[in-house]
Amino acid sequence: MKYANIALAAAALSVAASGAALGQKQFEGIELKMLGIGDTSVTRLAPLVDEFEELTGAKVQIDQFPYPGLIDKIVIEASADTPSYQLMWVDSPWVGVLGESGALEDLTDLAIRDAEEINLDDIIPIQLQENTWQGRLLAFPASGMIWHQNYRKDLFEHPDEQAAFKAKYGYDLEPATNWEQYIDQAEFFTRTAGEVLAGNVLEKDFHGNAQAYSRVAGAITHDFFPIMRSYGGQYWDSETGLCAMDREPSLRAVDVMKRLVQFNPPDYLGLMWDIRTGYMERGETAVSSYWSVRTVRLTNPEEALVAGIGEVGYAASPTGEDIPQPTMTGALSFGINSKATDDEKEAAWAFIKWGTSREMMRRFAEEGNGVSMFHRSILMDPDLQERYPYYQVLLDTQEHAQRRIFHPFYADVEEVFGVALNKYMAGEADDPQAVLTEACNKINTRLKVFPVELRLRWIADPPAEIFSN
Amino acid sequence: MSAIILRNLVKRYEADMAVHDINLNVEAGEFVVLLGPSGCGKTTTLRMVAGLEDVSEGEIYIGGELANDLAPKDRGIAMVFQNYALYPHMTVRQNMEFALRPLRLDRAEVNRRITETAEILGLDEYLARRPSQLSGGQRQRVAMGRAMVRTPEVFLFDEPLSNLDAKLRTKVRWEIGYLHRRLGMTTLYVTHDQTEAMTLADKIVIMRQGRIEQVGTPEEVFVRPRNTFVATFIGTPAMNLVPAVSADANLHAKDFSLPMPQKFRNHVPEGLEVLIGIRPSNINLADSGPANVFAASVRGIEYLGTDALLDLRVGSEELVAEIPAILRPEVDAQIHVSFDMQSLQLFDAKTGQSLESI
Amino acid sequence: MAYGRTRNRKIFLIFLVPAIAVLFLTTIYPMIYAGYLSFRSYDLAKPFVPRVFVGWANYREILTSSEFMHTLIVTFKLMVITLSVQLVLGVGIGVLTAQRLPGMALVRTLLLIPMMISPVIVGLIWLFLYFPELGYLNYFLSLVSISAVPWITSTTWAIWAIAIADIWQWTPFVMMGTAAAIHSLSPEPYEAAMIDGNSRWQIFWHVTIPQIKPVLISLMFLRAIDAFKLYDIIFVLTKGGPGDATEVLSMFIYRQSFTFWRMGVGAAASFVSLAIVVVLITFFFKSLNRSQERI
Repeated sequence: MKYANIALAAAALSVAASGAALGQKQFEGIELKMLGIGDTSVTRLAPLVDEFEELTGAKVQIDQFPYPGLIDKIVIEASADTPSYQLMWVDSPWVGVLGESGALEDLTDLAIRDAEEINLDDIIPIQLQENTWQGRLLAFPASGMIWHQNYRKDLFEHPDEQAAFKAKYGYDLEPATNWEQYIDQAEFFTRTAGEVLAGNVLEKDFHGNAQAYSRVAGAITHDFFPIMRSYGGQYWDSETGLCAMDREPSLRAVDVMKRLVQFNPPDYLGLMWDIRTGYMERGETAVSSYWSVRTVRLTNPEEALVAGIGEVGYAASPTGEDIPQPTMTGALSFGINSKATDDEKEAAWAFIKWGTSREMMRRFAEEGNGVSMFHRSILMDPDLQERYPYYQVLLDTQEHAQRRIFHPFYADVEEVFGVALNKYMAGEADDPQAVLTEACNKINTRLKVFPVELRLRWIADPPAEIFSN
Repeated sequence: MSAIILRNLVKRYEADMAVHDINLNVEAGEFVVLLGPSGCGKTTTLRMVAGLEDVSEGEIYIGGELANDLAPKDRGIAMVFQNYALYPHMTVRQNMEFALRPLRLDRAEVNRRITETAEILGLDEYLARRPSQLSGGQRQRVAMGRAMVRTPEVFLFDEPLSNLDAKLRTKVRWEIGYLHRRLGMTTLYVTHDQTEAMTLADKIVIMRQGRIEQVGTPEEVFVRPRNTFVATFIGTPAMNLVPAVSADANLHAKDFSLPMPQKFRNHVPEGLEVLIGIRPSNINLADSGPANVFAASVRGIEYLGTDALLDLRVGSEELVAEIPAILRPEVDAQIHVSFDMQSLQLFDAKTGQSLESI
Repeated sequence: MAYGRTRNRKIFLIFLVPAIAVLFLTTIYPMIYAGYLSFRSYDLAKPFVPRVFVGWANYREILTSSEFMHTLIVTFKLMVITLSVQLVLGVGIGVLTAQRLPGMALVRTLLLIPMMISPVIVGLIWLFLYFPELGYLNYFLSLVSISAVPWITSTTWAIWAIAIADIWQWTPFVMMGTAAAIHSLSPEPYEAAMIDGNSRWQIFWHVTIPQIKPVLISLMFLRAIDAFKLYDIIFVLTKGGPGDATEVLSMFIYRQSFTFWRMGVGAAASFVSLAIVVVLITFFFKSLNRSQERI
């Protein structure tokens, strides 16, 4: 019943959007506030909200916060009876806790109803699946994400470097397909000031690699888990629903990160996502793997110096040996506060559709703003591919991609493993197995109070119901 | 014991002169009191001797040595302060020990000196107490003890009795006098209390506005004050000063005349305006009739036990007289008084200087 | 007489009630509620986690957790470092600025500035100085050919980096207290000591310090309580890291309450922390009484 109004609104909106003049604006007088992040998934859209007001009459205010602490604000907002934010920016791992708490409005029926308008078929399925909890769609992607590697193409293709690499390691210098190669490359490109790099004498130290090692908001886990997954690791034991992040693949991932430490900047323990990506953006590292939501800055000289001093190449994430491509996805999405009023929900859904529409995304791309796209047709557009060389990587790697962690206890995992891994990387603990097992035990202590059926439900990932229609 | 010599001593605070051109000899073993109203420069002078204030001009010699640039500790002095300046967190014994510390004496000597000093000052039983557990008088004795243990050449006292009540003041005064007689140390003592000065001093230095008004034994300054300031400052109640003019070997006050005393007769010129100085104790009750007896009316009486003070009018002159209490008249009584002519002082009314030939 | 007294008492109440009401609403009620919470399982983020009475379980968990013990050790370590340096520096600067010299009042005022800045801003200021690679401090060090120090990204340096920021902010507090205490002392004992020939150092050590000791104890006590609650600077600079090198008690409470959303455990940890502060206060008053008895 509730959706009848929304359907009407949507119809009105599409009429309005198509340019037909309608006497009055549908959402005149409604004010929406979004609890958002200050990153590409929001910053591209934020300057355009006046256009939405022009179109619909609804006023939208986007408050932008840094990632660390944002989930805290969202949780507090979700636990309030009278919310001040109707729209929430959602990182896909939060879907579990917000979903199980009933904090987010179920968008399944709306998405099915407006499937055509939102070009549902054109959206890469895993990006939608990322936003589901127990099969229901709780948020809508505003930016797709995959974890992949960025490398200095200009350095990799420099003949002197290629020859030297081949001479030292016995194989060609090409984007790494496994972590051993990645480590070789990190080692190879680590140079001190005064040494030569691609024919130029270095004025300061050059770091072969930059990864996130900071414990702040679990940053280190955001690099650790993709590597763990690339070794075939899983978060949870499928029989018990308990922590499985202390097994062989985790140990190998820890080993990879530990061996990379010496090729990282000396302040590696403080490397957060943005500090880590800063090294690539300023052209101060050779290889760095991270989420595509920051990769999109690399083609923009205003956001990344490297665009002026070299060229970045893009490739799928390296893997553990002999293990097929298991790219990690994530989605940065917009959700609706379940405690908003019905009118506000209508307007909010209209805003989501407008802000994440294929037209909007194409507009971003054409205006030169990189966004980690999630519409197939955009990623496949030859002109845009030319302009944004990472599109092909985004396209290719999502075919067999696996979903990121989405457990209701994700915050615990992020924090506990963040501290534990950071401690190990800092050299404060010797035995990686003990470190991982202790972290798992902490998580398990909190999970064991729940019955196994519940724990298994929490790790279950039934296909999104939007796909069954 | 060391002598102290102050030569042309000046202390200037920015533009203000606090001490003008002070010259003073303190003989070894002498007890000299700097006496004057507050702000007269006596404490500043003392602090310069102690080395706590810089000397602007002039010289200070202590024990024959020029002391201007010597640190306080190198002047061989000890000082007792008005508010005792004890270390509140230390016991009496520790206070003395701390004063002895720089001398680097051996333990036995330290103990011997403390025991001896405590004995002299009667502090034996208080050695383990803190200043807060002592009375004011005891505290001042501790302060003296702390000065004494160092057996300094020179003792400086800065109004040591001001913080004590009247009864204790007399007692401690006696003790200081006794100590000085017993130990014979050169002493420079600052006070604004003339009783202390009169009772303790071998020599009193009376100061006003940074200058020395008179130096002399207690008797000299009392009997032969050099000017009206000294005359009225020394002696309680203050000396009466009656304006008069000298003429025909007489002194003509407004309402009465006196013969010029013998000792002034030869050198006080005719027609000079003078002030006749009459100490209250030099006014006597007299029978009417004989020469130089004047009618007076009694305006008020202060009974002091042994003596009584009379507030008199002789003609229009107000005079204070001090007479044996037993003889005191009634208020408003009409009486007759005479003056002890030998003790009269004469001052030049213009300069205030004594007219007594020296 | 009796009339006046009852009237006074009524007026008394009228003035007291608003204060009590505010105190109740802002301090007493939250504290009682926190006490209640500390015996419960209460996950703010996960309403589906049962919110039930758990007895002493939260306290047991904290007191047996090596993590909590670690944060206590870090807290005390920071406290010892910052307090001792603040004491020495603060008294030193306090003595210097207590000199009655021209311009000293201005110097004193300038030195007070760090104290007036909000701790979060202090954290941010030092973040700019410490920032890896781009920080001013390392830039200045590089000018004198000293290689970059990983101020906040090394487990050995981080605690010092935080201590330095805290010392920078709070030394003026000790300095001010010391200068005020010294000004309140009468000058004569110093003059007496000078005449006696004791050196400046001996006078300072035997005359000044014992007399201002009660003030110093009070200052240290206030600093100790603050150090125990130290949070803002750490939150801005290291968030407890790297590893758990700067994980102090307040960070532990914060993480339990606002990262894991285990409000019950957070509340219990707050009460344990309160208990430690109370022990500290008791110890302080005892030692203060002892030092005052001697004066």
